[in-house]
Amino acid sequence: MTIQADEVTIRANEGRSLVSPRAAVLAYLVVCGLVLLLMMLLGLTMRLAQAQWITVPPNFFYVVMTMHGAGMVGITGLAGAAVMWHFVRRYVPVSTAVFVANLVFFIIGAAFILGAGFIGGFAGGWTFLFPLPAHSGELWSANAAASYMIGLLIIGTGFLLLHLDVARGILAVYGGLASALGVEQAFGLAPEKYGPPPAVTASTMVSIVNILGIILGAGVLVVSLVNLYVPSFTFNALLAKNLIYFFGHVFINATIYMAVIAVYEILPVFTHRAWKTNRAFYFAWVLSTLMVLTVYPHHLLMDFAMPTWALVAGQIISWMSGLPVLLVTAFGALTNVYRSGIKWNATAGLAFLGVAGWAIGVIPAIADGTIEINTVMHNTQWVPGHFHTYLLLGMVAMFLCFVTYIGTTGSSMLASVAFWLYGVGGSVFVLAFLSGGAVSVPRRYAVHLPEWLPYDRAGSIGAALVIVGTLIFVLGFLARLPSVSASGSDA
Amino acid sequence: MIQELVWATSLTLMSMLALVFIWVAFRARVELADYGPAIASAYRKRTWLFGIAMAVLIWANYETLPHLPYVSSFVAQGSGAQVQPVEAIAEQWSWTINPSNLQVGQTAEFHVTSTDVNHGFALYDPEMRIVAQTQAMPGYINKLRYTFTTPGTYRVLCLEYCGVAHHEMAADITVAAR
Repeated sequence: MTIQADEVTIRANEGRSLVSPRAAVLAYLVVCGLVLLLMMLLGLTMRLAQAQWITVPPNFFYVVMTMHGAGMVGITGLAGAAVMWHFVRRYVPVSTAVFVANLVFFIIGAAFILGAGFIGGFAGGWTFLFPLPAHSGELWSANAAASYMIGLLIIGTGFLLLHLDVARGILAVYGGLASALGVEQAFGLAPEKYGPPPAVTASTMVSIVNILGIILGAGVLVVSLVNLYVPSFTFNALLAKNLIYFFGHVFINATIYMAVIAVYEILPVFTHRAWKTNRAFYFAWVLSTLMVLTVYPHHLLMDFAMPTWALVAGQIISWMSGLPVLLVTAFGALTNVYRSGIKWNATAGLAFLGVAGWAIGVIPAIADGTIEINTVMHNTQWVPGHFHTYLLLGMVAMFLCFVTYIGTTGSSMLASVAFWLYGVGGSVFVLAFLSGGAVSVPRRYAVHLPEWLPYDRAGSIGAALVIVGTLIFVLGFLARLPSVSASGSDA
Repeated sequence: MIQELVWATSLTLMSMLALVFIWVAFRARVELADYGPAIASAYRKRTWLFGIAMAVLIWANYETLPHLPYVSSFVAQGSGAQVQPVEAIAEQWSWTINPSNLQVGQTAEFHVTSTDVNHGFALYDPEMRIVAQTQAMPGYINKLRYTFTTPGTYRVLCLEYCGVAHHEMAADITVAAR
């Protein structure tokens, strides 16, 4: 297939939608920006309550916690999807109608989830760990729990459609997922220069893992739904936990693998150096695909009933999974920027920060993936400490890079201020969590002991700075929206 | 304690990596005339880094994997230590622990389970630092061994979110000096 033919196919596919691709991406950014801010405010509410600077009743705290967790996982998924779709459609034909449908599914699903929490009082945790949704202690009804799970199923359906459509587009151009992932280049069977672009490789990886993850996640959701109304229908709690953590691990990691496409595409615009794809790059993505699918037992290291070999494998794969991030993506960003003569602005800075946050977050994550350490760190604040490092300072920074790139808002003085507020506040925020974990402060506690308050207070200050920074980025984008919509350019 | 070592090591490595990014960011303003030799040199360094990373990976796993907390591993290693069985049963939102009075030097083997949802059995020492933990699951009995070396009141907290009184789910174990 020639490039010309590809372009004809891409245009023909997009032409069938009532909404233009650009308008669809902008709609995603508006929804993601606003929901992200709302979810950050819920996070700040929890930290302020733990710090005893505000009073939040425990039952409401856990509703907020459940909404924050589900909301953040969902919105980072949506934000990652926006980045992936925007760039992958340069190379493969994808349907704008399906992309828009995913957003509609998300909004409907989010309404079900918010209703479950703020009207129905559902506080089963975003992981809906079986059989907790059916054991509320009379604080939420079966209908509230069902509303939450139906909301997740609706959102999952949207994402499944999107990933299937992206996979269809990739297959149309590359003929197979292995070719699009760069397997031939990884194993030296084809020249590096004929390898797929990074956006295609990343999108292929995400399609593979998320289609599998969403299907298994939907399975355990359906089982949990039946259990709500037919308590005699039970399910093995350990198997349910395996399925939930497989789905959860894959989905949240996929958000980073989608968002990093923004770095691959945007950072070179500033450095005037193409992102170098070589054998190591493709090999790293092939390895990451396999490891994202197999590393999830590191969430179950304290489940002694698990087969020991699975837990040992979880530890070893956790260590190995850090290598592609550190030695390929982080190294790639460092060499791309090194002595490039770059003129820094907030957009370039957020791309660089995103890679740094991801790479730095790998270190405490690997520590927690070590069984001997997990014994004293599991489910302490070390856990939100490490995942906020690579999600808040990593994935969300990459997404905000994309927002400022599309909105062309990265060069203002205000954007620079927002960048530093975000970076410094985010660092304080994650270090407060990690240091709390090091002194055994439990995660997911509505009420804290007096000796834990300094960590909570430092974390609250960090979170507040992050929110101010994000607010500036989002408001800046919204203010530019009319002119960005009218410009019609692809940034 | 292991927590301090992990925190200090992580903070050092995280800071070093952050400094590398900051150094590259500040040096990036001045453009290099010929990028080719620099990138070739960088890739040579990466090969070395890969070697170092693999060596660290193998060393760390070799050092830590023999210290698995699973009772099946103790049995496999032929550890015949006398253990004191202790029942630890979780239910929303309390613990039943029997016996809850132990002595320094005793190795307790906690038989941890749950009658309703997932809970987490975390043993805090008198300084409120975690010294051992396992999950409490319906349908399973997880066996956790811990040898008490310090007298005092140990606290058991639930570390798996189990509903709206999760933070109140605590119990005490008293460990007397010999």
